[in-house]
Amino acid sequence: MNIHKNPGLMDQLAASYALGTLRGGARRRFETLARDNATLRAAALIWQSRLASVAELQPEVAPSPAVWKRIENLVNAEKQAQAMQAARSPVVPAPVSSGWWRSLGLWRGATAAGAFATVIAVVTGLNFTSQLNGQVQELSAKLSSTPAIEYVAVLADDKANASILVTFDPNSKKLMLKRVGDFREQPDKSLELWALPPGAPAKSLGVMSGDAVVQLTAADSDIRQSPALAITLEPKGGVPPGTAATGPILFKGALLKTPE
Amino acid sequence: MKPESPDTQLIALLDRVALADESALKELYALTSSKLYGVAVRVVTNREWAEDVLQVAYLNIWKIAGDYKQSLSPPMAWMGLVVRSRGLDFLRRRASDRADRMQELDEVISDTVAGDSPNPMDTTQASEQAWALHQCLSQLENKQREVVSLAYLRDLSHSELAQQLKLPLGTVKTWIRRGLEQLRGCMGKFA
Repeated sequence: MNIHKNPGLMDQLAASYALGTLRGGARRRFETLARDNATLRAAALIWQSRLASVAELQPEVAPSPAVWKRIENLVNAEKQAQAMQAARSPVVPAPVSSGWWRSLGLWRGATAAGAFATVIAVVTGLNFTSQLNGQVQELSAKLSSTPAIEYVAVLADDKANASILVTFDPNSKKLMLKRVGDFREQPDKSLELWALPPGAPAKSLGVMSGDAVVQLTAADSDIRQSPALAITLEPKGGVPPGTAATGPILFKGALLKTPE
Repeated sequence: MKPESPDTQLIALLDRVALADESALKELYALTSSKLYGVAVRVVTNREWAEDVLQVAYLNIWKIAGDYKQSLSPPMAWMGLVVRSRGLDFLRRRASDRADRMQELDEVISDTVAGDSPNPMDTTQASEQAWALHQCLSQLENKQREVVSLAYLRDLSHSELAQQLKLPLGTVKTWIRRGLEQLRGCMGKFA
């Protein structure tokens, strides 16, 4: 059968091709023919375009409001990560903390991608150890019973093992940190929590005691302006106020606004 | 096209989204999320999965809105394709749960295909092209229309459709062939 002399057959094949029911060898033969034959190619494009409107005709269903909140969080995290990159690029950071800045830059770039995984993890509790699952449930229960909690972060190590859960209540200005991994610093070291505001140096939010749950007080603005938090290993008691981190980043994670 | 048509409004929003305007994304979402969630539900058949797909799809639109200009499709059709693609990605990733998925698909599809409800298609916000397709699909029998729609939305072969619908392969092939044949005749009039 000579397809070139049979416009009806050409159109029929093009429609099956666009619908997706033309499969296997027949599909490959069609593609080969279409590369040499503009009429056939055009017919396939027309049918692809027509059938794309099947999507326009599906019944409307309203998604849960949480979906938009998740999208908004991720878009904001991405924009702030980009803004930080842009703001930082002309500035050469102090050499004394180059290790810190280098690793910070690395994971800042990954924040947008990482944030997605983090949100899914926070929302569904996937990929967590059973211990953490308990923590997440507890946290979720707390979130629903305490609507004042506006921000949550899961700080994880470089292998994505969650180690510290953070919540922030803007009314009491309390940051609550819970250790959920088995990391314990040596007695002569302390863990220090940092806010990472865009275009500005990391700001210390305080030093953690060795307890399983630690409360810190933080200014609302420090939290609102910070798309991510990080924890560094510092000498006992932390670095002197107003100075930069000296130790390695142990844990980090995106700071996410909770669904209203 | 009238300046206040939904297409014009959506195209303007996509242009702003391409410039990383979050407020435009919010407006776009408000206008289109119910329609696109409907598409996602039809593709993946599960509301929870469909929400994940919807989220990924809007983040995708946020990144590639600039590509819309190169497309000649109506904006809703273009966004629908993004949702369908992300939905199909999702289903492929869940291939290891294939047995479960098939079971759920079976139930959902059997319901929809068995249903004698009149044309369930929704022309809210539909482009002129979609309106034409709607007119033509309306002339098909419900079962034919449903099988053609599902073949397209879920990218299913004749044999996959037959298996999932528990119909003889020959019946599915006949419905698809007749459905496409009628569509060809009908869409030709709108060209």
